[in-house]
Amino acid sequence: MLKSNKIKKVRNDIILVAIILSLSLIGFLIFKLTMKDGNHISVSINGKEKYSYSLSDSIETDIITGENGENTNTLVIKDCKAYIKSATCPDKICVGHRPISKDGETIVCLPHKIVISVTEEK
Amino acid sequence: MKKIISLIIVVCIFVISLNFTGCKNQVNYEKFTDYSFEYFDTVTTIIGYENSKSDFDKNCDKIKSLLEEYHKLYTIYNRYDGINNLCLINSVNDGKHSELTVDNKIIDMLSFAKEIYTLSDGRLNIAMGSVLSIWHNYRQDGLDNPENAELPKYDDLKEAYKHTDINNLIINENKSTVYISDPKMKLDVGAVAKGYAVEQIAQYMKKNGMDGYLLNVGGNVRSVGHRRDGEKWKVGIENPDTENIEKPYIEYLEIEDMSLVTSGSYQRFYTVNGKNYHHIIDPETLMPSDRYLSISVLCESSAYADALSTALFSMEYEKGYKLIESLENVEAMWVITDGQQKYSSKFKDFCTEK
Repeated sequence: MLKSNKIKKVRNDIILVAIILSLSLIGFLIFKLTMKDGNHISVSINGKEKYSYSLSDSIETDIITGENGENTNTLVIKDCKAYIKSATCPDKICVGHRPISKDGETIVCLPHKIVISVTEEK
Repeated sequence: MKKIISLIIVVCIFVISLNFTGCKNQVNYEKFTDYSFEYFDTVTTIIGYENSKSDFDKNCDKIKSLLEEYHKLYTIYNRYDGINNLCLINSVNDGKHSELTVDNKIIDMLSFAKEIYTLSDGRLNIAMGSVLSIWHNYRQDGLDNPENAELPKYDDLKEAYKHTDINNLIINENKSTVYISDPKMKLDVGAVAKGYAVEQIAQYMKKNGMDGYLLNVGGNVRSVGHRRDGEKWKVGIENPDTENIEKPYIEYLEIEDMSLVTSGSYQRFYTVNGKNYHHIIDPETLMPSDRYLSISVLCESSAYADALSTALFSMEYEKGYKLIESLENVEAMWVITDGQQKYSSKFKDFCTEK
């Protein structure tokens, strides 16, 4: 009788531990999901967001714009910084722009209506 | 066993409390951003904190419809059906027409531009259109065809300068009419119109409860009202030395219900024989002003900030400093051509660490 009570107690303890563990796990997951998990690079063309990358990616990609796809801006993301490596626009202001990495920073290509921005996504 | 349980409870509470601090600052309001390219030949950024995307979009649509209205009235490059705009004022100025009836928004902006002309001792002159259009054309050709880039002929500039007397712009506020008595004179409101429009829109937003927004129309930054998360806006002033990767910004400012406009000579230029020629033309030399790399003006009104930042570009530092100090609640920062930074007396009060 005493022994079976003890087993019951242990079983209840295990259940309690399991419940608390799963609660804390859920809490931790919610915390993970709501916290800012680093920076993203958002590419918008004429005001519409078209592409999104993680700033920790390492990529080199051509952003194609224009009615017949005649415009190219080459975006590079490397070492947690983003910049335009080359572009077919006339003023090349986007190419001369320093690499961006901080929340809110942007590179704009006015002729091609492109905004590259650093965002903190949730 | 009990020890383990209490330890787990502690961990659990710890995790849950982390969870609360993790989202403390974003309880209700979310940050939204909108980019558009339709107005004032530049990029417009609208940032706001709202409960929902639909609330933000509703306000954004209103702001953009106002921007469109002002853009169509103030542009000197395009005509629009049924709108008597600046482009029409310039094109009917052929000696045969008389006064033109225009929207009050044009009358008010032109009157403001005349006020700035007086204030800046003529360094900002919207009657310089004939001179500026020569530079505009040469710059455009130079950008399209860099190998054959040329400078305007000085004689042409001097000839055009004969037709830049702002007193020949006759504004009748009662009748809401405009008349230019010199048929060769043209208006160029590029240094005034955008800032003036942004300020009118900011005033509209404040009256209609659109609080806590940041408008950035091509570098013309206006923070409107108070941010809903209780924070101030933090804006950086770009280092004119764009090669300097270590120091991308030369100052960081915290602003609330203020405008910050930076005019720079380091971004919009064209190159002739290895030398860069930027877009801010000194009315005295008729050449790009070479005293500064950038000038930032900080004050509530975006209209003043925009106009003054251009006017200061064509002024000796001492004279510009005197002007800024004579105005209440207006601050400025000059970046001299050698990179040295100079400040008005209270500019640094707004500066912060990054």
